[in-house]
Parts: sequence; structure tokens; C-alpha cells
Amino acid sequence: MRKDLVFGMAGSGGDGIVSAGDSLLQAASAEGYHGVMTKSFGSQIRGGESSCRVRISTEPIPNPGGNLDVAVALNWEDFLKFGAELPVSGNTVVIYEAATGIAENQIPLVGVTPLQVIAVPIAAMAKETAGTERAKNTVVLGLIAGWFGIGGQAVMVGIKKKLAKKGEELVAANQRAFDAGVAFAKEHPLKSDMTVMPSGNKGAVKLLTDGNDMAAAAALFAGCQFFGGYPITPSTEIMQFFTNHVWKYGGAVLQAEDEIAGIGAAVGASFAGKKAMTATSGPGLSLKSEMMGLASIAELPLVIVDVQRGGPSTGLPTKTEQSDLFAAAFSAHGDVIRPVLAPTSVADTFRVVVEAFNIAERYQTPVIVLSDQEISQRKETMDPIDTTQFKIEERLRPTAADLQDYKRFRITENGISPISHPGMPGGAYLAAGIEHNETGAPTNSGSVHQRMNDKRTRKFDPLLNRQDLFEITGNPDAPLALVAWGSVAGVCREALQMAQAEGLNVKLMVPYLLYPVAEATYNRFFASVQKGLVVEQSHLAQTFKVLRMHLDLPKGLKSLARSGANPFLPGEIVEALHHLLAELQRSHEGKLQPQE
Amino acid sequence: MSAICEYQAKDYKSDLKPIWCPGCGDYSVVQGIYRALAAIGRPPHEIAFISGIGCSSRIPGYTTAYGFNTVHGRALPIAQGIKLANPDLLVLAAGGDGDGFSIGGGHIAHLIRRNIDITYIVMDNQIYGLTKGQLSPTSQKGRITVTSQHGSLEEPVNPLLYTLAYGAGFVAQASPTDLASMASIIEEAIRYPGFAFVNIQSPCVTYGEEAQQIKGLKAISENLSTLGHNPADRLAAMDLAQQYGRKLHLGVFYRNPEPAPTYDGLIRERQAALSKGAIPRERILDLFIKK
Repeated sequence: MRKDLVFGMAGSGGDGIVSAGDSLLQAASAEGYHGVMTKSFGSQIRGGESSCRVRISTEPIPNPGGNLDVAVALNWEDFLKFGAELPVSGNTVVIYEAATGIAENQIPLVGVTPLQVIAVPIAAMAKETAGTERAKNTVVLGLIAGWFGIGGQAVMVGIKKKLAKKGEELVAANQRAFDAGVAFAKEHPLKSDMTVMPSGNKGAVKLLTDGNDMAAAAALFAGCQFFGGYPITPSTEIMQFFTNHVWKYGGAVLQAEDEIAGIGAAVGASFAGKKAMTATSGPGLSLKSEMMGLASIAELPLVIVDVQRGGPSTGLPTKTEQSDLFAAAFSAHGDVIRPVLAPTSVADTFRVVVEAFNIAERYQTPVIVLSDQEISQRKETMDPIDTTQFKIEERLRPTAADLQDYKRFRITENGISPISHPGMPGGAYLAAGIEHNETGAPTNSGSVHQRMNDKRTRKFDPLLNRQDLFEITGNPDAPLALVAWGSVAGVCREALQMAQAEGLNVKLMVPYLLYPVAEATYNRFFASVQKGLVVEQSHLAQTFKVLRMHLDLPKGLKSLARSGANPFLPGEIVEALHHLLAELQRSHEGKLQPQE
Repeated sequence: MSAICEYQAKDYKSDLKPIWCPGCGDYSVVQGIYRALAAIGRPPHEIAFISGIGCSSRIPGYTTAYGFNTVHGRALPIAQGIKLANPDLLVLAAGGDGDGFSIGGGHIAHLIRRNIDITYIVMDNQIYGLTKGQLSPTSQKGRITVTSQHGSLEEPVNPLLYTLAYGAGFVAQASPTDLASMASIIEEAIRYPGFAFVNIQSPCVTYGEEAQQIKGLKAISENLSTLGHNPADRLAAMDLAQQYGRKLHLGVFYRNPEPAPTYDGLIRERQAALSKGAIPRERILDLFIKK
């Protein structure tokens, strides 16, 4: 029996393979398993290739998994388009459509001999039992229930709910297709038992959602009352969530005429005294950069969620990458610090977005949340989050005494000045993108500019001491280290566990705060490090370079970086760590020999 | 009974000294705005005055309202966010012809179709003054400037016809040649319940052409009311607007006799309708519970 199974399924757009993944995830969740599902598509609107990866486990899941345990190909052409996103190994059971006409010993997977290969007449079974090939995905769910013990009748409960409005006959047809799948599996047992262990957690309350919906819900929890945005893959669902819910909390949402107007409206709402947010992806972040600079100099709180996709330009709109770090940290001209935070999972997207609002309000600044396509569109089961443990911060408002002689940009010791908003008597001031003195009056003075730059920089100092924005696991004195953020952090968490199980002395740092770079925190972490890897999905190794810009990195710290849409596997990271350890041992031997 | 005037024009004037050239038309515009605001009588702190970048975009700083001198071309996107975030505010937006019809030209159509209750004042001088005399979107074809040294090859934008065609509920034109009527036009624009556009021919004394100075403007100006124009007649307004650049028609081109609902009003209705039965914020994650 297994504790953990990774399914990868692909077909063409009309095959309903993603819908099957959804049903599987929901059924597993109902049975008390932990589950994560990611989707990946071609960029076609309809048709084209689509795939999903579902990982089910009796334990909490750090990432969507490496090599597949179970591969399902409704046709090979579409399956192969996903390449490294759906890796098959010698431990994979491959299930595919018999109607492809390809013999079991001739499947088109080069250089790998799967554990077992089974051709199943999926389309024929669907046609025979449900009268239509459209039930292929239900047959697949039956096969999975039969062979792996996942889903079972919970799948049909979900399907019945989904199809309830469409009539009993359709439900019955799907039940027949499902039963046929189960029956086929029972008649053709696998060579080795791959059923999953009972979860022991059936009936426990679980949350199930994706990163985009979580980001929007977290914003509403934090008190966000305005969202301005423009549709862009893969962030649009954030705006969609707002259009459904924000009104209930007295707020508003605007689908603006363009990306600039979207952030512009949010800047305006913040000026008007409301917590505001926008969301976008790479091309939109480029367009918004001037407004981000405006919010920085006008010292207006604002949260910008950037769901990274492959870039530059249109790039790979439906695939994940971590290549917006430079843009997040450095875009918009001028000397400016703009905090950048990143979640690593759907669950911690909640915490990170709430934190982003708190930082934005406290320091009167735009804050970027760097999510990525994988987190934003992956669905994850999670334990309920106790929202009472989160403190919600509000911007510093002027007191009656402050308003006696109100200076909006008063130079204070900590750099934070009380902020008024239209409607507040006695607080009127001129906000401006132009440099200004303490009252807000425009100026060209070099000395005022110097003092204001200093104020706008100094105010972030306390942020650099926030230890809670870094997760450090493993042996604190370890000579080997990993650094990773965003969705890649989940892969490294699993790699850390695997490496420790193999006896490696290693630790992992996951920064939630990417910028400004908390130099002291990194220096403490790197003090014991002789060899290590900064793991990221960026061809230019942006994270490694930003760290190198701020820190004297240990000589043995290397970059493990690659382009997006090429996921890291925990196993390859462990292998790389072994390699580093071997290097380390060789260099020690080299040093010791002359002394002997 | 006549209304008690609690505020005077001077109450809206700030201590900042304008950077404008002596004789600039924008001095008259800001005077017109002080008078209009005094006539309306909202306290300055309930007014948000938003501009872009350019000579004329300095204007919010010369008032005692909450001002926001933003980035080039983006007064309207920011102004709409302010109005939607707090519909109780009186929101004014202002800027030049380049700010509104060139770099920011994509926004006005959308504010008009949303009918957000904002008054937008463009100080139209047919030139880029702050950057020292380049071609603007309202410069006449053939005009020689530092960036059109052999004459402009482009037809100018017609701000009046554009805004009428986009469906603005209120479109008017004014000029410093008649300050009293400018003030009353701005007042009327602010009172109009919906998006209101006022184009003000405001001469650039430094880079403007002779014909566009006060004397030249007076020579081509005509009062719409004396022409017998009916401001409820949108097609007649569009007909007159075609003479933009040749004639200076002053007054209200169009005022929708049946103003459409405003976006900011509609969102209030939506908020009221949907607020009942909302999950408390601290329990919002209940939306994700799967049973």
C-alpha cells in the first residue's frame, strides 16, 4: 500500500481530463486525504492539449510531486506535449487509450521502461456504457478507483452533484461508465499493489481552493475595499472573485480599460483612504510600473499581486516561471524600495497577502506579492486556517493634535508620517508624483529630495529584522544548504526531507520576504554553509543575482536555475546535494593531506 | 429663499504661488474654479482634485481641496478610483490637451461610458508648454513647432466631438475671454449628476500662436445661447462641435435632459443589496469548505 500517489493525465481539450482531476481531488478530499492538483494547458482557448497532475497523500503535501506514479494518456500526441511536466519513470504505471492502436511495448516514451503499461479501450467503454465518448473521463475515474482505491463512491457522489440539474439519465450513464472502469481494473490487477492507505481522517473539515481565490479571500479578510484590474492570464480569477464578493463588504471592483487604469484606480482608492489592490501577470506588471513609482513617492498603501508566467513579453502565458523578481524589485525608475513577498503554497498565500496589506498600510507603500502560475491555479486541500491569529493593521491616521499643524509628509524619526484622506477635515494636502516638501508642496530642492529619499528608505528598516518572514528548516549548523522561494520552495522542502533521510547534513531557507534583501538574516544563515544551491525557475538566475548583489555569498553556493515550464524534481535536487557533498569531502581531503 | 453662501472663492485658494507664466490662461481657469466651488459650497476637505502632468496639471495645488498631482495622462483613472472608493466626495479632474487627449486619450471614453460622476476640465492650448513648445494632439494641421519644423502632418483631435460621440451627458466649452460665464459653466458641470466635460481654450502666452491669444479667441468666439442652441439637442451639438478650431463656441453644447444613472450610484445600490447575508470577514475562508 502507498501513502502517496502522483497522477498525471493528459488529453485533448474536449476530453474532460481536467474535470476528471477535479472530481478525483474533491473525492479524495472528502475521504480525508491531502491533495494537490495542478493544471497545464496549451494556450488554445478550446481544444488543444490539456493536462492535470493530482497528488494524493495521507500526509500534508509540499508540492505537486516529481515523477508520476500513474500516467494516463488519452492520446500520445497531447501527452508528449507536456514533456517534463509529466515525467514517467521506471516506477510509473502507464494507462493509455487502446484505440491509439499502439502496442503496449511500443508506446512513444523514449529511454524509459515503465513499471507497467496497460492499454485500456477507454473510448469504447464510454461509448458502450454511456452511449457517448464524452464519458471517457468517468471511465478513467473508475479505473483509478479500481486500481488505486482512491475516490470510490465519493467520486460518484461528486459527479451526481455536478450533473444533478442535467437529469437522472446522465447520472445513470456516468455511473455505468464509472462501474465499467472499476470492473476493468478488477479484471486486470496490477503487478504490484498500488492502492493507497486509508486516510484515517475521513470527515475532517478541509478547505479546498486555488491560489488566486485564496489571494482574493485573504485581501477581503485584510479589509481590502477596492480592486482595480484588467483580465490577464493567469491572475484573472482574483478579479473574478472580487466581482462576486467585494460588494458584500461595502467595497467596489473595477474592470478597468487597461492595466494602467486598473492600478490607477487602486492608487486613487488608496488616496481616498481605502485599502486597495490590483493583480496582474508579467506584461501587466511592466505597464503598471510608473504607477508603482507614483504610489511610492506619494506614500500610498497598495497591494499588487503579480502571478508570474513565462516571459518576457507574452512569453508562456499558461506556464509557471520565477522570472519577474527583477521587475518586482527594480521596475519603476528612481531610488525606491518596494517590498516584495512571495507565497509558497495555496495555504500560505493567505498569510502572505494579509502580511502584504499590513506592510503596505504600516509603511505607506506599494507591496508586490509574487505568486506564480502553479500556485495561483493549483488546487490544494488544507486544514482550516484560524483567522483570529492574524492581526490586521491600519495606516497611521493623524490625531487631532497632528491636524493642528498638519504636514502630510512630516519627517519623523521612523520615517512614517500620519496620512489623512479626502473627507477628513483639516487634513487636506497635495499628494504628488513630483518631489515635495513636508506639506506636499512641489519642490526642486536637492536637499529636500535627499531628506525625503532618506525618509522613504529609512521607514523600511524594521522590515529587515522580520525573522518570521523566513522559514529555516534542517540542522542550523549544516554545511550544505538550499535556498528557494515560491512554488519551487515546496519541491525543496521535500528534497530536504529526502536528503536528511539519506543522512545528509543540510538546511533550507525559504524567504517569504524577497525584497528588500534582509542581509543580516541571510548572513546568519550562510555562516555555516560551505556548499549550497539557490534553486529557481529563472533562466538568468535572478534570485541568485539579487542575493549576490547584496551579500558576499559563500564561495560554494551555486545557482541551480532553469527556464519556466521545466519543473524541478525533489530527486534531482537531492542528487545535486550528494554531488556537492562529494566535492566538499574531496576539498577537505585535499586540505588535510599536506598536513599528514 | 436664497441659499446662504458659507464659502467664498478665497476659501478655495491655497497659499502656493502658481508657476505659470504671467498672462497664462490657466490663472483665469483657477479663478473660475474657485468661484464655481464657492457657489456650490462644499467644504474644501470634501473635494478631491486630481490632475496629470503638464503646466495646467499643477492646478490642484493652488486650491485648498485634497489634491493629487499624479502622472502624465492618468488623472482620470485615478479620479475614478477615488470616486468609486468614496462616492460622497466631489471629484474634479483637470489637465492639458496632451495629458487628456494624447498620452491619456484612452481613458476618457471609458469614464464617459461608465458615467462616473466626475467633472473633467481640459485646459486646451494646442501646444506642449511644460516641455517647451512641441506639437499637441489639438495643434492644427500644418502648425510649425519644434517637433514639426516643416509643419504638422496630422489632423487634430476634436475634444468636443469626441466626448459627444462617446456619449458624455454634459459637454461644454469656456474661455478666459469671459470669466463669469466660465465660472458658471464649471459650476453647472459640477452640478450635473454624471460625467461632465468642460473644454477651456486657455491661451499659452509663451508658445501659443497669435490667433490663440485672448484677442484672437475673442475674434472667433460666439455664445451658444445667443445662437439659440438647444443644449438638449445632441445632434445639433455635434453639428456645432465640428467647427472646433475655426469657431470658439462658448457655453453648454449638450446637457442630457434625462441624466443616466451614475456608476457610483449603481455600485451603492449593489453594495446595499448584497451586504445582507455576507459571511463575516473573519469567516471568509468558509467559502472554501468542501463537504
